[in-house]
Amino acid sequence: MIHVQDLQKHYTVSEKEAGFLGSLRAFVRPKTKVVKAVDGVSFDIAAGERVGFLGANGAGKTTTLKMLSGLLHPTGGSVQVAGFTPFQRKTDFLKKITLVMGQKQQLIWDLPAQDSFLVNQAIFEIGDLEFKATLKEFTEILELDGILKKQVRKLSLGERMKCELAAALLHRPKVLFLDEPTIGLDVNMQVRIREFIAEYNRRFEATVILTSHYMADVTALCERIIVVEKGQIVLDGGIDSLMQRAQNKIIKLEFSHLIPRAQLERYGTVQELDGLSAQILIPRAQASQVASRLLGELPIADVTIEDPPIESIIGEIMSEARVNQQNQRIDLEMMEAKP
Amino acid sequence: MNKHLKILKIFAGSSVSAQMEYRANFIVQMISSLVAFVGALLGLSVLFGDDAGLGGWSLLEAQVLVGVFLLLEGLTEVLVYPNVRKIAEMVRTGTMDFTLLKPIDSQFSVSSRNVNVFAFPNVLLGFGLMVYALIKLGNVSWTGILLSIPMLLSALTIIYCICFILITTAFWFVKVENIIELFWGFFRAGQFPITAFPAGGARILFTYIVPIAFITTVPAQALIGKISLESVLASLGIASVLFVASRLFWKFALKSYTSASS
Repeated sequence: MIHVQDLQKHYTVSEKEAGFLGSLRAFVRPKTKVVKAVDGVSFDIAAGERVGFLGANGAGKTTTLKMLSGLLHPTGGSVQVAGFTPFQRKTDFLKKITLVMGQKQQLIWDLPAQDSFLVNQAIFEIGDLEFKATLKEFTEILELDGILKKQVRKLSLGERMKCELAAALLHRPKVLFLDEPTIGLDVNMQVRIREFIAEYNRRFEATVILTSHYMADVTALCERIIVVEKGQIVLDGGIDSLMQRAQNKIIKLEFSHLIPRAQLERYGTVQELDGLSAQILIPRAQASQVASRLLGELPIADVTIEDPPIESIIGEIMSEARVNQQNQRIDLEMMEAKP
Repeated sequence: MNKHLKILKIFAGSSVSAQMEYRANFIVQMISSLVAFVGALLGLSVLFGDDAGLGGWSLLEAQVLVGVFLLLEGLTEVLVYPNVRKIAEMVRTGTMDFTLLKPIDSQFSVSSRNVNVFAFPNVLLGFGLMVYALIKLGNVSWTGILLSIPMLLSALTIIYCICFILITTAFWFVKVENIIELFWGFFRAGQFPITAFPAGGARILFTYIVPIAFITTVPAQALIGKISLESVLASLGIASVLFVASRLFWKFALKSYTSASS
């Protein structure tokens, strides 16, 4: 469905020193520098997949999404979405995709969401029957009853987001680009939005590409994760395979009587020690060995070995990637410094 | 074509009902329209004193011209202004993204999205004055009236294109609402017949550089039966050239928007 090969997006930005003199200098002799927002990204996404883009602010998630949806013209490389080149923005392409941005809204502020829906119906040339059926379906899943007739400006943030999603999906697109769709929402509403997206994906066999700051969004919704850091992919894989990359295991212990912390610290990193229960972090390879030692040497009532939560695994990989990139940069600088 | 007509209807409907949300605004607009109307008429009576002509125009003929001016000013406020203002806002807030991802011509969509119904009384006032002065003038020819329709449409097209081209610079400079004031300033010169300006500088400026002459003088000339064939052709020519230019400039601006914005 989506084929991306060595995709690049470079911006030329002007640099300016602080203060009036800095402005003057920049005015007389503008200094520019090239920012590589996306720097050689390749991946393929099959129809019906749910893929999450993770990365810090400015890592290149949104820029990639904008190139996929056709808003931005890539500096280099190639993109194909549903057989189209996105930035040509052909009508048939635009009818197959949608873009939802948590920070921007397309609904008409002073009118009920229903009126915005009618505008989209006309623009996307949706037949009356199909329009009614889709709207009925969405009203059910998203619980839009009573919301559709209120002016958008009077809706809560969560209600507005539900309407935004409905408006963006009325034409039943096959590819969904969701840029931080749950930003600013409370946990309950986040869950509802996620459930709706998952339901849409199931019913219409749509491909979903999601970016989010909330790790929970991605882990709950996506079967595959792409982690971007400084415009490059540092990780691309299924949630399952991610688990394999975890370097540590967590051993959870229940004691029959209290244990001094120092005694426990001999086995591994103590994450938690609270009365009779404790949690320690052990390198993956030694997990079972340490567990059996613990059983033999300490008054253990219960022991379990678990994978760390996916959030911390991804966090680990991201910080590792950051260190690697920094090291590479230092290497390069040292090479350049040599005559 | 059918699709676009249907969309126009929906855009207009939603835009009008959005404005009905704010009723007080309507009254304020009505008052300001009346004030502008009275002001324009008073201005004329001062200029003409008893029955002296102005640049070869009699008082009644000049009233036709003021009628045309008010009519076009009204139409601009109803149809053009609310849209161009929104364009700058859409660029600034980034909602232009949504417009670009809709399967519809983006220039059409941003130019037809809004109507300001509150300014409609201006249109009626202008039209009323125009008709009143024509009737008082007497001997009006049907050819003139028929010819005035394409001339008025061409004038409106010229206004739209100039405003649209000016506002399109928002893609580079972002905050450009004031640039429209620049055009508005020139536009006011359209209250007077072009021949009333001293030959040379001002007349050349308002004919060739900012084609104000084709916005009010030429349609008024058509109505009072004093139009030349050259004026008709020039008016249509300028409107077409500007329209093509506005489309090309819009496409060019979009290209730089989509390759630079974040």
